[in-house]
Amino acid sequence: MLHQAAKNPVREMQNLVECQNRDGGWPYRPGGPSWTEPAAYALLALRAHEPAADPAERAAGWLRATQRSDGGWAPAPAVRQSTWVSAVVVLLGPAILGEASYRRAVAWLLDQTGEESSFLTRLRTFLAGNQIPPEQRFPGWPWFPGASAWVTPTALSMLALKKAFRVDPSAAIGRRLQMGASFLIRHACSDGGWNYGAPRALGFEARSYPETTGIALLALHGIDSSEVRKACELAKVQLASCQSSEAESWLRLGLLAHRQLPPDAPRPVRTPRTIQNAALALLASAAGQGHNIFLE
Amino acid sequence: MPICNRREFLQGSALGLSLTLAACSKPRQARREERISVLRAGDYGQELYGEMRRVLAEHRLQVRGKRVLLKPNLIEFEPDSPIHTHPLLVHATFEAFRALGAEVLIAEGPGHRRNTLDLADAAGYFQTIPHFEDAFIDLNLDQVTQVRFANPRSRLGSLYLAQAALSCDLLVSMPKMKTHHWAGATLSMKNLFGVVPGGVYGWPKNVLHWAGINECIVDLYHALPKHFAIVDGIVGMEGNGPIQGKAKRAGVVLAGRDLASVDATCCQIMSIDPRRIEYLKLAAGDVGEMLKSIRQIGEPIENVRTRFELLPVWAGIRLDNPVS
Repeated sequence: MLHQAAKNPVREMQNLVECQNRDGGWPYRPGGPSWTEPAAYALLALRAHEPAADPAERAAGWLRATQRSDGGWAPAPAVRQSTWVSAVVVLLGPAILGEASYRRAVAWLLDQTGEESSFLTRLRTFLAGNQIPPEQRFPGWPWFPGASAWVTPTALSMLALKKAFRVDPSAAIGRRLQMGASFLIRHACSDGGWNYGAPRALGFEARSYPETTGIALLALHGIDSSEVRKACELAKVQLASCQSSEAESWLRLGLLAHRQLPPDAPRPVRTPRTIQNAALALLASAAGQGHNIFLE
Repeated sequence: MPICNRREFLQGSALGLSLTLAACSKPRQARREERISVLRAGDYGQELYGEMRRVLAEHRLQVRGKRVLLKPNLIEFEPDSPIHTHPLLVHATFEAFRALGAEVLIAEGPGHRRNTLDLADAAGYFQTIPHFEDAFIDLNLDQVTQVRFANPRSRLGSLYLAQAALSCDLLVSMPKMKTHHWAGATLSMKNLFGVVPGGVYGWPKNVLHWAGINECIVDLYHALPKHFAIVDGIVGMEGNGPIQGKAKRAGVVLAGRDLASVDATCCQIMSIDPRRIEYLKLAAGDVGEMLKSIRQIGEPIENVRTRFELLPVWAGIRLDNPVS
């Protein structure tokens, strides 16, 4: 069902469209119920490859209809809580979501921080006589409200807010983007890349992952620093040995964002095993042709 | 001469009253005897297929026509490290349940990495288990149902859980026997974190940490009562588990109907005092009483006990430390 997307984007785009559910959304795996994340990535991929308008319009309709009253999106209609998936939807922009819905969604994103940065947690830390650890000085974004901030939701939220900043260059968005970048830099592993967001535990250094290194690099687009350059070098090594299509896609997107993808970089060889990963492979393929929808 | 004076009469009356009250109070529910199989297994060889059939027969599981969900432990892309439940043990269990007439599925929802099928591929599951993908459910991306906890131990009153785990007739927790840097030991109860969907809560499933790891383990244990445990202790992990530890050959497979009793037995084999594992205390109340209710089948613990290396912060859970 899902094939090597970058090898034949036209055929894979057709496969992606065939997996669309009748309600307009997409499942994670063909035949399943619609979830927000694959639907948003699939719609981004449709926009990057400019296919027929009808599937895109139905997808946009499903996403507009599933926005929650607080401005965010739940991972699936069965869940009654807005979460990190909202950032992926915000990437679609006001033209798809509508101006008012988009503004509410951006406001929801700006309101989110990791629980470790909340006033109550910081007060407890202060009252206990403890210092705030350096990596917790800058608020990032959590996967789920009430939990800590982590690399992937922070990177996705930054990508969404970078787009929003182009529409509305407000100080509030600019501040969160700066703090988000600092959060990512502070959460790098000692090898230069990123894992899910815990570079060390109980004194042990943790290793980075290729997919999180790629997405963090993409979110740090436009920043030139020794940390970013070190991460790019690691990403090139990871690209040669990563074991999932998702990792291949994020690494390519991240390296392309910094113009660091070597001309002789290995082609994608891993099969996407979810619709979200098939869509990501198509997005990476489009970025390779100069059409990086995350940065436009 | 009076038989007793007033003071003796009052003391005697008080004693009699308290004895009467004690006799009238609700009798303490006797613990059910828990049969725990301890199988000595030197390696991941073909003999496991026969051994797993024998182990299941010992527990007289009635699973004909029932849906059985095997829940192994998959974590990282490191096939040479003893992180995962070994695919051969999973396949041997899969075939043993099928031989009993069950419909068997395999499911997991890893806590750190999103690409569950790629992870299973790297861990050798595709190679070992024919048509693996057809029998596999990614619990991180499965449909979800909100489950409200009847008597929550954690701060969470409810959790969204993977539908496959809720709807099966028997959930078989199949962890790797490992030490754990936050919980002391990770076994069949902690393995239930995999039924919490990453698609909802993310990677890692950090809401569980904020709500209390030990308390959440117990909430999940109570929320999924139709369970069975089979622990891969042939080669476990010691030290900085569950990811960065070292291989530890314990040479055992454990099985039983009650996850807490199985985990307590595992701890004893690992030279860990189960009375000091917080989630066992929360689940069992009196772990000592629980240990008395265990009827062990197979190898005596003394024959297979081995010393799993612990991080210094966990030195206090060592079996040979005096209980404070």
